[in-house]
Amino acid sequence: MMSPQTYRLLACVLVFSAIVFAFVGCDRLHGKPTEAAPTVIGSPSWTQSTFNTSCLGCHSKGAEGAAIPLMNAGYWKVATDAHVIQVLSHGQGVSMPNYLDSDGGPLTSDEIAALVKGMRSMWGAGSLGGQGAQGGHAGQGDISATVVAGDAASGAKVFATACASCHGTGGSAGSVTDPMYLRLISDQGLWSAVVYGRTELGSPAWNQPMPNHPTGLTTTEVADVVSWIAQARPVSKAQGQAKVQTKSQPKNQNASDTK
Amino acid sequence: MNREVILKLLKSPAQWIEERTGVVAFSAPLLFHHVPRSAKWWYVFGSATLMFFTIQIVTGICLGTMYAPSASNAWESLRFIDEEIPFGWMLRALHGWSSSAMVVMMAIHMLQVFMHGSFKFPRELNWITGVFLLLTVLALAFTGQVMRWDQDAYWGLGIGAAIVDRVPVFGDQMRALMLGGPIIGGETLNRFFALHVFILPGAAIALVGLHMTLIIKNGISEMPKPGEIVVPSTYREGFEERMKKTGVPFFPDAVQRDMVFCGVCLLLLVFLAAYYGPFGPGGMPDPTLINTNPRPDYPFMWIFGAVSLLPPASETAIMLVAPVVGIVILVAVPFLANSGERAPSRRPGMMLLAVVVVMAIVALTWEGVTSPWSPVMDGWSALPTPTQFVKGRTPLQMQGAVVFQFAQCRNCHELGGFGGKRGPALDEVATRMSPDQLIRQVQQGGGNMPAFGKNLNSAQMTAIVDFLSTLHPENEADSAIPGAQLPLPIKSPLTMNTVSSGAETPAGIHSR
Amino acid sequence: MSDNTKGETKKEGCVGCGCGGGGGGRPAAVPQDARRGFMFKIGAGLLGIGGALAAVPIVGYIVGPARSRYRNQWVDLGATTAFPSGQTRFATFLNPIRQPTDGDAAKTACWVRCVEAGKFQVFAINCAHLGCPVRWFEQSKLFMCPCHGGVYYQDGSRAAGPPPRGLFEYKWKVESGKLLIDAGRLPGLEESV
Repeated sequence: MMSPQTYRLLACVLVFSAIVFAFVGCDRLHGKPTEAAPTVIGSPSWTQSTFNTSCLGCHSKGAEGAAIPLMNAGYWKVATDAHVIQVLSHGQGVSMPNYLDSDGGPLTSDEIAALVKGMRSMWGAGSLGGQGAQGGHAGQGDISATVVAGDAASGAKVFATACASCHGTGGSAGSVTDPMYLRLISDQGLWSAVVYGRTELGSPAWNQPMPNHPTGLTTTEVADVVSWIAQARPVSKAQGQAKVQTKSQPKNQNASDTK
Repeated sequence: MNREVILKLLKSPAQWIEERTGVVAFSAPLLFHHVPRSAKWWYVFGSATLMFFTIQIVTGICLGTMYAPSASNAWESLRFIDEEIPFGWMLRALHGWSSSAMVVMMAIHMLQVFMHGSFKFPRELNWITGVFLLLTVLALAFTGQVMRWDQDAYWGLGIGAAIVDRVPVFGDQMRALMLGGPIIGGETLNRFFALHVFILPGAAIALVGLHMTLIIKNGISEMPKPGEIVVPSTYREGFEERMKKTGVPFFPDAVQRDMVFCGVCLLLLVFLAAYYGPFGPGGMPDPTLINTNPRPDYPFMWIFGAVSLLPPASETAIMLVAPVVGIVILVAVPFLANSGERAPSRRPGMMLLAVVVVMAIVALTWEGVTSPWSPVMDGWSALPTPTQFVKGRTPLQMQGAVVFQFAQCRNCHELGGFGGKRGPALDEVATRMSPDQLIRQVQQGGGNMPAFGKNLNSAQMTAIVDFLSTLHPENEADSAIPGAQLPLPIKSPLTMNTVSSGAETPAGIHSR
Repeated sequence: MSDNTKGETKKEGCVGCGCGGGGGGRPAAVPQDARRGFMFKIGAGLLGIGGALAAVPIVGYIVGPARSRYRNQWVDLGATTAFPSGQTRFATFLNPIRQPTDGDAAKTACWVRCVEAGKFQVFAINCAHLGCPVRWFEQSKLFMCPCHGGVYYQDGSRAAGPPPRGLFEYKWKVESGKLLIDAGRLPGLEESV
């Protein structure tokens, strides 16, 4: 017969060895470092994290962010891959930086192409519209073909009927013919602002029906009003309209007035 | 006699060994020396430190069997240990966590000794060997971080090299001596490897031996009682008297508390290692991968914090002199006060000093962890302008918000709680500064802000200031501009701009 | 570690520990043996000379790197056309002073600013404060350091933060369309102004 002490001792030894053997048995504890999965360029997680660190600051979602949100199916409908790659690589206007490594940016051309593809699959629900830019609602066709020189005179009329109530003298939304503003935004940017607005912030999108404009604005009307607004942009010998409109200019030259 | 020996040998091999080695006679005083009855839970920290040191030696030797001490292979060999060797990751985790634990235990032990005045006569040298042990262990921790040979290790060495480089006259030579050459490279790793596995552990073992010898020699100090004054001329006799009368043997009386405490520490260590895993290695030690954010290990975070808070003018002097002064003061502690009261309640000045030092180190560590002085490198492109700062803004102000991101302002300034903390948060900047002041600040910088005058054109400047002028609590008007909501709100910046910065007079600004 | 007070302390339990072999305990009974004294001197002398001779290579081996026998060399950064005028670009090169065991650590990075055609500034990657790698921000035309927030203008001059001076610059020259810099040693305070 074993004494109670022996039982107790035996139990202790059993528990002890159980613990130790359990520990020996699992080299797979929480702390074991997992083999880092190699980053696949173009994978959804890569696209998301690249977007989050490089684009989100300005092109946020919803009401956040100061520039046009990219989570906008309408935009992806008219923006061809070639167009977005061009903008992303070499920048646009004054405030869109260039991201291509040969331009001094952080991404290779392959990465930029993969990023554009990934963004389209995330937010661009529809396929590209037709190539034609004439007639119909604004916001159809190829975006780079849509921003065409319009007729400023008729643009003035469009502005008076569609825009002046908010953006005219005394309007609450602020001037869009302020030369300072126009020096910072390209015609492309004006076009996007008119067509997509910032509906989350209360600025209307003119590819949608509006109270006094049941069909929104047509492509021609948008082009006209953009031309009229752009007239107010100051021009100078060294820089100005031509420069602001040039999309392939390296960024740093746009950023500076001097020289 | 022979027969006796044989009998003894048969009876007890241990005794046979004892007769030839004297091991028991040697270790008996270590085990059975009398310690004060009052030595209770306050006295466990030294033992815990020693236990962690033992773990360091065991795990360190194990790691030494697999680690490749070569700059071209070290990083890969660590990945290999982590991923391929059974329990390799666990050994690295134990080594890393035990290292941190040892530093912490040592600090607590030292603090306890300081607060109880245990360093007073006759235990001055106990304290001094302890100080050198502390330095040795910190050196082990730093060289251990170098062993990881990742980006933190590389740039940590760079920081060390830059500090050494500031030594007057010999800085360059000392840096070369430290790095083993003109760059951080293979020789550097091997130099630190020799330090980490030969020189410093050797020194630590010798110092531990000395420290223990002194403990046996001088005895463990009693719990301090107010009024029990240390008088060097009579202390020893009194102490030995009291030990004989009321002392208890270290084994098995006093040791039980050490065993319980060490057991808890050990379990905690195994848990931490098993659950949180090893430290690093971080990114590959390729100095051309510059998208890195070098940070030292925790024991050095307070130094990292301190060097960024020093005034630049006196920085070099402080960086070079402060460590020397600090060590001298630590060594001098027992000589500055080696007799008198030991009780904390009778030494309020010393207690205050200890509290201040601990708080300073904790605060500096916190500063180092949060690093409010570091720009958020991708703040400008990753942190969106919060809704409340873009809602209801004019087109120009919206462009100003874009410029605010574009010009990397966000890297140093917070909006809505996100962004760099180097500069002030700008959520309500319009309540502090008028548009004119804002323009001057953005253009000319100052107060640790770079001047942006040359890098922003007049339109960008106007837009950004117009935007900044709207940053205020919702119920207030835009700063100092009555009627700022009107179109073309800012007149003064235009004039101010043309007047104040002749160099970048906007060419087309007045032509329409 | 020899302990003179050992004999006096009665409670001392360490007597038998065998650590008393260091001093003059055992030979106390030595008579005035002239030969033994002579041998002692000879031994000390031989050990001294031998030790000194052995110490020379040991010290030399350890201290060797501190003697600046490493010289910078001209390193090719590639065609100048890779550095457009008015821009600042990232460039990497393999350090001319390197050992086989250096691995990736021999790779070095720098920032090349083309002020105007044919005129360059080549900045070390290391912040002048404590050596962390600075990053260039094209938009604000600033270099920023991730460690302690040192900031520099595009010409390398200090803009803000703790650095005591501007960025370290490499000497440069253009030869047959290629940009060469004088590189090698880790940039430090002794380097070019």
